[in-house]
Amino acid sequence: MELKNQSVWTGVEDLTKSESFIELASQEFTDLPQLPSQENNGFTATRRDFLKYLGFSVGAATVAASCEIPVKRAIPYVTKPDSIVPGIANYYASSFVNGGDYAAILVKTREGRPIKIEGNDLSKINGSGTSARAQAAVLSLYDTNRIAEPSAIANGKPTKTTWAELDKVVAGKLSAASQIRILTHTILSPMTNKAIAEFTKKYPNTKVVTYDPVSSAAILAANEQSFGDRVIPNYKFDAADVIVSVGADFLGTWISPTEYATQYAKNRKIASAAEAKMSRHIQVESYMSLTGSNADNRVLIKPSEQGAAIAALYNEVAALSGGIAVAAPALNAKAAKALKKVAAELVAAKGKSLIISGSNNVGEQVLVNAANNLLGNYGATIDFTEASLQRQGDEANAQALLAEMSGVNAVFILGANPVFELPNGDKFAEALKKADLTISFNPMMDETTAVCKFAAPANHGLESWGDAQPKRGHYSLVQPTIKPLFNTRQSEQSLLTWAGASPATEQPMYDYLRATWQADMFSKQRNYATFNAFWDATLHNGVFQVAANAVKPTFKGDTNGAAATVTQPVKADVEITFYETVNIGGGQYANNPWLQEMPDPVTRTVWGNVLSVPVKWDGINDFNGFKDLKDGDKVEIEVAGKKLKCTVVRQFGQPEGTVAIAVGYGRTQAGYCGTGVGTNVQAVLPMKDGRVQYFATAKVSGKTGEDKSFASVQYHHTLGITGMGKEEKAIINVDEKALGYKGFQGSLTARTVIRRTNLKEVKKFAAELQTERAHHQKLNSYTLYRGHMDKYTSGHHWGMNIDLNACTGCGACTVACMAENNVPVVGKDEVARHHEMAWLRIDRYYYGDVENPNVVYQPMMCQHCDNAPCENVCPVNATSHSSEGLNQMTYNRCIGTRYCANNCPYKVRRFNWQDYTTADIFPWNERDLRGKTLGFRTEMPYGADNLTRMVLNPDVTVRTRGVIEKCSLCVQRIQEGKLTAKKESRQLRDSDVKVACQTACPTGAIVFGDKNNPASQVSKLNQSDMNFIVLEEINVKSNMTYSVKVTNRDEKLEA
Amino acid sequence: MSARVSPLREPLILGNKNYHQITEDICAPTERAPSRQWIIGFMIAVAGLGLYLFSVIWTVWNGIGSWNLNRTIGWGWDITNFVWWVGIGHAGTLISAILLLLRQKWRTGVNRAAEAMTIFAVICAGQFPIIHMGRVWMAIFIFPYPNTRGPLWPNFNSPLFWDVFAISTYFTVSLLFWYTGLVPDFATVRDRATGWRRKLYDNLAFGWTGSAKHWQRWEALSLVLAGISTPLVLSVHTIVSFDFATSVIPGWHTTIFPPYFVAGAIFSGFAMVQTLMLVVRKLFKLEDYITLQHVESMNKVIVLTGTIVGVAYLTELFIAWYSGYIYEQFAFYNRAMGIYWWSYFGMMLCNVLSPQIFWVKKYRRDLWVTFFMSIFINIGMWFERFVIIATTLARDYLPSSWSYYSPSWVEIGLFVGSLGLFFTCFLIFARIAPVVAIAEIKSILKTMGDQYTGVNALNKKHDDHDLHTEDAHGHH
Repeated sequence: MELKNQSVWTGVEDLTKSESFIELASQEFTDLPQLPSQENNGFTATRRDFLKYLGFSVGAATVAASCEIPVKRAIPYVTKPDSIVPGIANYYASSFVNGGDYAAILVKTREGRPIKIEGNDLSKINGSGTSARAQAAVLSLYDTNRIAEPSAIANGKPTKTTWAELDKVVAGKLSAASQIRILTHTILSPMTNKAIAEFTKKYPNTKVVTYDPVSSAAILAANEQSFGDRVIPNYKFDAADVIVSVGADFLGTWISPTEYATQYAKNRKIASAAEAKMSRHIQVESYMSLTGSNADNRVLIKPSEQGAAIAALYNEVAALSGGIAVAAPALNAKAAKALKKVAAELVAAKGKSLIISGSNNVGEQVLVNAANNLLGNYGATIDFTEASLQRQGDEANAQALLAEMSGVNAVFILGANPVFELPNGDKFAEALKKADLTISFNPMMDETTAVCKFAAPANHGLESWGDAQPKRGHYSLVQPTIKPLFNTRQSEQSLLTWAGASPATEQPMYDYLRATWQADMFSKQRNYATFNAFWDATLHNGVFQVAANAVKPTFKGDTNGAAATVTQPVKADVEITFYETVNIGGGQYANNPWLQEMPDPVTRTVWGNVLSVPVKWDGINDFNGFKDLKDGDKVEIEVAGKKLKCTVVRQFGQPEGTVAIAVGYGRTQAGYCGTGVGTNVQAVLPMKDGRVQYFATAKVSGKTGEDKSFASVQYHHTLGITGMGKEEKAIINVDEKALGYKGFQGSLTARTVIRRTNLKEVKKFAAELQTERAHHQKLNSYTLYRGHMDKYTSGHHWGMNIDLNACTGCGACTVACMAENNVPVVGKDEVARHHEMAWLRIDRYYYGDVENPNVVYQPMMCQHCDNAPCENVCPVNATSHSSEGLNQMTYNRCIGTRYCANNCPYKVRRFNWQDYTTADIFPWNERDLRGKTLGFRTEMPYGADNLTRMVLNPDVTVRTRGVIEKCSLCVQRIQEGKLTAKKESRQLRDSDVKVACQTACPTGAIVFGDKNNPASQVSKLNQSDMNFIVLEEINVKSNMTYSVKVTNRDEKLEA
Repeated sequence: MSARVSPLREPLILGNKNYHQITEDICAPTERAPSRQWIIGFMIAVAGLGLYLFSVIWTVWNGIGSWNLNRTIGWGWDITNFVWWVGIGHAGTLISAILLLLRQKWRTGVNRAAEAMTIFAVICAGQFPIIHMGRVWMAIFIFPYPNTRGPLWPNFNSPLFWDVFAISTYFTVSLLFWYTGLVPDFATVRDRATGWRRKLYDNLAFGWTGSAKHWQRWEALSLVLAGISTPLVLSVHTIVSFDFATSVIPGWHTTIFPPYFVAGAIFSGFAMVQTLMLVVRKLFKLEDYITLQHVESMNKVIVLTGTIVGVAYLTELFIAWYSGYIYEQFAFYNRAMGIYWWSYFGMMLCNVLSPQIFWVKKYRRDLWVTFFMSIFINIGMWFERFVIIATTLARDYLPSSWSYYSPSWVEIGLFVGSLGLFFTCFLIFARIAPVVAIAEIKSILKTMGDQYTGVNALNKKHDDHDLHTEDAHGHH
């Protein structure tokens, strides 16, 4: 190398251009250690070669590995909305409204997606509790079967159109002379009513026809007759000491079950044995309803005897309180005798008693009113001041509409589904097809929408502005929590647009709602001076209550006239009751997989309705079903000449000669999940004076086959059933003998699974219970591992107290758990194989008299044992214990040996048998909800689509195939609560952490908290002498405490 | 082995054999073309192996959900098969180790095949704990390897983790023992072979020359391995029984399991040896080496262990009753009279009642009776494991979760298929290795050959000096 024009030199060698220096300078690295001789190791590659090889290998590997990896884009906000902080949930107060079903709710949204519904504890109606239906509403938002745009419908097939075109068609077809009918379920919204009123102003021949999918029309009519007020009165179950319900399932489905359950539980909880006091609840019914299962005594009648029972009860009450007896049909002697005693109890609790009935016979309801009137209950346990507006419909109106249909020009379907719901739905379908203009606002392509000419799909409630007035004086707002997912439009906006009255603003419904409230609500209050302040506060709170004008109507019903119209008992071998289930209602909720997968609280079956048949004990070993039927057998029933196929379960407490089946199932066009699930009984519902009667006479065939996918989550039902032993000639414990020989049924008789007693013996029982517990605890105190439990005495120690007396079994907690924890829906076929994934289940056991047992519900989830048997058997440490007493699952570490599940005494661990969450790499491993493997089909299984996945809680891992999962005590909520307390530099309070099942529970049966904090509610509850720990004797040191089930049963009621 | 035995002892080698004849007889199956029976048997076994592979792939592909296990019954046929195969694997080591230490001469006729059976049974057994994992691709987590997660170790408290070591140790030692025994015999075959077979056996024989030093080391190694194996025979099934005994489930949580499992394992292992030996002696015409005396000896072990197992069953029932503990009573009442009563009675019939027939000498020596009994016993022992696993899980603490379980076709395929895997291995073994230990059987010829003991020896005066001139370990 020649160095030229050198003005800078680094040394003498440089300056003199010594040869050795030039050579050195031409090399980049001079001090490298010498590699071993290249000849010797045969490695001839130079550094450049090495780089070439490396470059080629990396390049080749990159090319080879770069086979399609889907690109998933996460796009940040350009301008971040103030209210959205990634990872932080926002809660918006809103209302869940579906027809007359109502709950004031808080909607939890994450990054703009509603993912969970909680109760709004400012509400005086449902408080912090919700129903399963309200919990599941968030999933309906993401239903893939929603109609995505306004459509013209021909032969049940939608063709896309635009709102402008639809509006044009409507405007062209309607004139002031048009006879227009709006067919709807109960409307709770004052705003909707106002919109309809404005529409009616433009089209004066508009009439609203209201009916409810499961009717309460007779109560409305009876109150109109008795008091001149066509309304459901306000029932106060918390003010009643004696509650008699004749076929009204007020804890499960009747009118406003969440509200009633909240009130009911107040008088059922027992804080300690010393101050034990509870209301008395007698259920007169002909199938085991959720409410009946909670009753102290059940009086069993045949469905057609309901009128006779009401009349008999009225007569007995009248006899004791100076009323005038009416002519009553004959009632079975046993029930008559029992009702005589019941009447005496009612009269003894005058003014603190309550009689209700689910009957849809006006005469019977008038007699119920008369009896309540004699008992002085009006103004005490019943009032009209805050009367409920949650049922306003009368299907007789719908029948009247059917009769005049030929003269009607246009029918708008507003949420109703008469083609499915009404017994003569087929006639509706025919009539609607002939009408000139039929428009459905329904969100789905249901049975009725399919026969309409146009679909004008309305927004989901979580996308809408609106309001609700569930009771007189109680208002609440509905606010959107997400932009409409599809090209849908609120039904009110459609009506206003067609009436030419829609505000021409960017957010017409928001402005309309504000205007409505400014005009109608603002004046009802004095707290806020400006409307804006009032509006902001109400929107924030969600609910708004005003003192309703006191109404005190006097009873003017005609009891003799009413008695003449009560149902006359029939003589038939088999009578059938049609009832509503907690989850599916009248069929409105059929397409919601969470509700389909939620086990019916009483039958414990999922995905379908079953025919409950009575079960008898043979006095020796066997329980025999009616006609020797077994659970899962198929039979054919014949009602009014129509034959139906259905699956049987043997139901304890089902009176002899009766069967029962739920309505609302067997939808023919409900969507992917709901279509064809169960037996459709709508068409056989009898009608009397245009009103649906929920009972009939029936013929039941013998076994015709077996339901291969009969899906029930519980196969053993009894825990201490007693009956008359044939050999013993005495009352014996049937469970003790169930296998043929007495004395070896320890797990069924003595295990600490359920602890229960009668109110009369509660003090003695509590003392014995605590002696028993002390004995267990003494044995458990002998340990090889001294000090093992010490670590749980400092810091938090999480635990739960579950009140078996407050739990009504409604199942809201189970759906809340699924929503909170991303628990997969597995479908009927998988549940039939006992592969259900629910982290929280409600075990249901029958006990007491085999013919007429009591029922106890036991919420059962991971007990977070401090001596957890699951933890020490896991070979890979995938489940471990936190210092705060939590039993934790590490999904990433789990290899799925299932030893933990085997070793769990509570059987609460759930294994991902298949790829339920579509987190797997093999698409053919996924099953659709009917249990078919998808194989190479392109059809999506439930939950695989991006729309449904929007409901997932981002704080909870979605589990993959082959791992175990279980209740985590909502560890994500615990963590959030701990952080809240830490940020505010204070001790954690109960209100910081509330787990999902706890917040969903309307009765406060589940209380979660820190056992180490003496101020926590759980610590206080754990002091009670009514507590026990399930399986305490096996020393797993469960952190869940249960409180004893107490009934106020009168054993001699039927004697 | 030179001690004279009473001539009243029955001979263990028939047919007036000399050393050369023994070599000829036992090497013959490895040297001639496979018989038609072998080919048919092999085809059936390979078909079974195919079914097995298909079922395994199906399981891994579709998930454990392709089995009929459920939320209550997390183990079924999978772990039943595992325990069953491990149990079968016990006889080989027992015969080679404990009987060697006890100087039981009749072991020489059957030890080779029994050890091979052990190896293959443990191979079959080891599959099931792996297949039954929900995430088999993460199976590596059960090994204590250094890692960057903490490091995160396996749970040393878990019996499943102990299993990993119990089974792998047992497999390793059994394999060593088996192969050590095979080395001189491979050398024998090598010396007779030509061409590629010679090369193959040369490699297999590890350069065995038959020098005195080799023999001495071989003997020493055999004894050492026997010493190591002996505790293993007892420990492996003890640890397997801990999978159940350390749990909290009534019916599993019981201290009788370790001895009960070991006795059952030996019982089923001998039954399987009987099944195999009766076929092998017929198939390879080894009636002179696997004699009625062998069969009878093994039947004696069977009747002993079967009775131990029976006593264990009765002890369980007795203790359940005697304890006065109602939950234990429920567990056992349910086991016998509950939903799986048929498998309990199958177990009792096959394991306890029917082997009692072997108190009668005539039946002990009857090949057909022995063959059917051996099959019976293996069915019974399979039932025993099924009874313990499924019945117990189906009725545990909370009645709400009780359920029932019957296998899916995949689970049946895995079980039947694992038999295919086993027999494929065994049939290949029987073709390429001497199924009777040549060196060992030669060592007892001078004492237990029918020319030296038994009726023949008494009847016919013989001259043992003639035979003494032969090379004791000649590879003719």
